[in-house]
Order: sequence, then C-alpha cells, then structure tokens
Amino acid sequence: MTNQRNRLLAAPLLALLALLAFAGPASASGESVGSCMAEKLEELIEESHGDLEEVLHELHVDTSIGDHFEKKCIEAPSPILPETNEIIWGGSAFLILFVLMVKKGFPAVRGAMDARAEKIRSDLDAAEQARVDAQSVQSDYEARLADAKTEASQLIDEARVAADQLKGDLAERAEVDIAEMRERAAADIESSRAQAIADLRSEVAGIALGAAERVVHASLDAEVQSRLIDAYIDEVAGTDG
Amino acid sequence: MADSRVAGYAEALFAVAAAEGDSSVVEDELFRFAQALRSDNDLGSTLADTELPLARRLQVIEDLLDSRVSAVTTALVSMVVGAGRAAELPAIVDAMVERGAASRNKTVATVRSAVDLTADQSERLAAAINTRTGRDVEVRVVIDPSVLGGVVTEIGDDIIDGSVRRRLNQLRESFR
Repeated sequence: MTNQRNRLLAAPLLALLALLAFAGPASASGESVGSCMAEKLEELIEESHGDLEEVLHELHVDTSIGDHFEKKCIEAPSPILPETNEIIWGGSAFLILFVLMVKKGFPAVRGAMDARAEKIRSDLDAAEQARVDAQSVQSDYEARLADAKTEASQLIDEARVAADQLKGDLAERAEVDIAEMRERAAADIESSRAQAIADLRSEVAGIALGAAERVVHASLDAEVQSRLIDAYIDEVAGTDG
Repeated sequence: MADSRVAGYAEALFAVAAAEGDSSVVEDELFRFAQALRSDNDLGSTLADTELPLARRLQVIEDLLDSRVSAVTTALVSMVVGAGRAAELPAIVDAMVERGAASRNKTVATVRSAVDLTADQSERLAAAINTRTGRDVEVRVVIDPSVLGGVVTEIGDDIIDGSVRRRLNQLRESFR
C-alpha cells in the first residue's frame, strides 16, 4: 500500500523535473534574426570567396546594407521574463485554472476527503460496534459456558444421586430376592423332606402290609376262614359281642 | 337296547328254567358259571369269538358243564352262546337270578368270600341280613380270593364289607 502511494507521488515529480530540465523559454536565443542571418552569410562567403568586403566590393554591393541588417535585427527577449502575450495568456489560463480549482476541484477533493474520512469513521464505528458485538457474543458464550458447566455439574450430581439410589434399590431388591430364594429353598427342602418321609412311610407301610398280608394269608386256613365268616354273620346280625 | 335285550334273554332263561322244574337250582348253576366267566377272561373270549366255529364253542361248553350241572343249565348256556351273546351272558344271568328271586318275593344278596359258605352259613347270613335290613334275600356266593378272608355282601347298592382285605386297606390308610 505504501509503495503504491510512493509510486503515485514519484510520477508527477519526475514529470515536473523533466519539464523544468528540457523546456527553455520560447525564442530566447539572445541574438536577433538579422544578425544571425548576416553572420551566417558572412561565414559562407568568407569560406567560398575570401574576404567579404572584397567580395562585396567586386560585386558593387553597398556595404551599408550590413548595417541595415544589423539595425533590423530583433532584440532578444529576456531569459527570465517571458513575452508579454505569454504572460497574459499564461496568467489568464492560470487564473481560469485557479478559479476552476477553487470553485470545482477543491470542493470535490474536500468532499472526497470528507467522504473518505466519513467512510473511515464509519468503518471505525463499525469496527467498534463489531468489537462490542464480539465482546457481547463472548460474554454470552462465557455465560452459556458457565451455565453449561453449572448444568453439567448438576447433571453429574443428579446422576450420582440416581446411581446411589439405584445401587441402594438393587441391593435392597437383591436382599429381598435372596430372602425369597432362601424361603423357597427352605420350603422346597421341607417339601422334599415331607415327601421323602411320606414315601418312606408308604414304602414301610407297603413292606409291613405285604408282610402282614403274607402272615394273614398263611394263617387263613379253613377253620379261620369259617370263624371269620361266622363272625361276619354275627356282626351283620348285630349279635357280636 | 342292550338292557332290554338282556332283560329279554333273562326272562326267557327264567321261563325255561321254571318250565323245566326247580328253577333255583338252574339259577344257582348259571350264577356260578357266570362268575367263572367273569374271572376267566380266556374262557369268555373263546365263547364270544364268532370266528371260532359254533360247534367248537358248544363243545367247550359241553366239556365244561357236562356231568357237573343239569342238562337244562347246559342247554341254556349253549343257547345264549349259539345266539352270539356270550359276552352278555354274565349280565343275562344276573338279571335272570334277580328275576327268579323277585318271583319268590326275595332280593339277591351277592356274597363274596375267599371260600365257599356252607349251607348253614348261607341260611344264617340270609337271616342276619333280613334282621339288619328287613329284606328277605337269596344268598349267591362268589368265590373271590382277593377278599383274603371274611365276607363282602352286596344287596343292590348297599355293601357290607367284613373282609380281611378291607382291614388291611384300613391299616394301609392309617400309615399315610
């Protein structure tokens, strides 16, 4: 940016230096036109025909014409002051340009500068507003972050409480289950024991009854059978003891 | 249908027995044969086997009953078997016995015992039942070894159980 600005400033300065170096005052040679021509002619004549006076004399030329030429030479302008007409035209142009610059250019430049300054001020204000907004957003983010941390902490606490509660519930349920399993096991054991006792009793009874039946069967001879029938008849008749 | 058929056969048997003379003897012989059929499944199935020639089945009856029962009894059994009703013979005989007892104004008392009762015991038992129930009964003895000892009397739906088997069962129940 700085280099570009320096190049923009250097270009008109170089143009101004070139103008001052190569531009000379218009027609400011320091010699008149007539003298210049006379001197040139004199040099040409002397180179080709020798002495000028003699040539002029042989040609019957009035030598006073040289004086005439010398009198007729235009006086050289001042190397400092320009010609009057140039002063007039240049001054007029300068005045016109100056007036134009004062009336049109300067307000335009000043307006552009004011617009530029206003734009810069606006940009600065926008930057300031953006900074304020950024600070607001940052504050908002920080607040949210703080809220999130707080919420996370609450969630962790709640989760810890819930975990403790769940742990307690599971332990309690496990104790209940263990107690129920213990009761069921005790009931099963008792049932199995009762069933085993019943089975054993039934088996013992079967064995005992089998033995008794065999004893009874062996002892049931004809006489016993007859006595049993007689006892039955007496029982039916209601005459037994 | 089956009940009416059984009743019809029973009535026919009773009529033939009555016509031939002492129906109570025929009833008693038929009753014992019916009990033998109940206790011997092979005999029952043989007599009921229609694929077996009738002459063969009648020959079996002849071999079993000839000279042991009256000719009327043998003829009645042969008639029922020849009619293809051997499987229903026990029920027919029961109905005939009841029909005969009813004709004498009596009720049949089925007595199950491991050994046969003497005539005196049968008469005393009939008298005892009469004393107890007020009904005049005819005692029909069924030999049943499972009774072991004592007597089981069935009069219609009433049962008087004085068997050794019942006492052993009571003893078995007391162990439980």
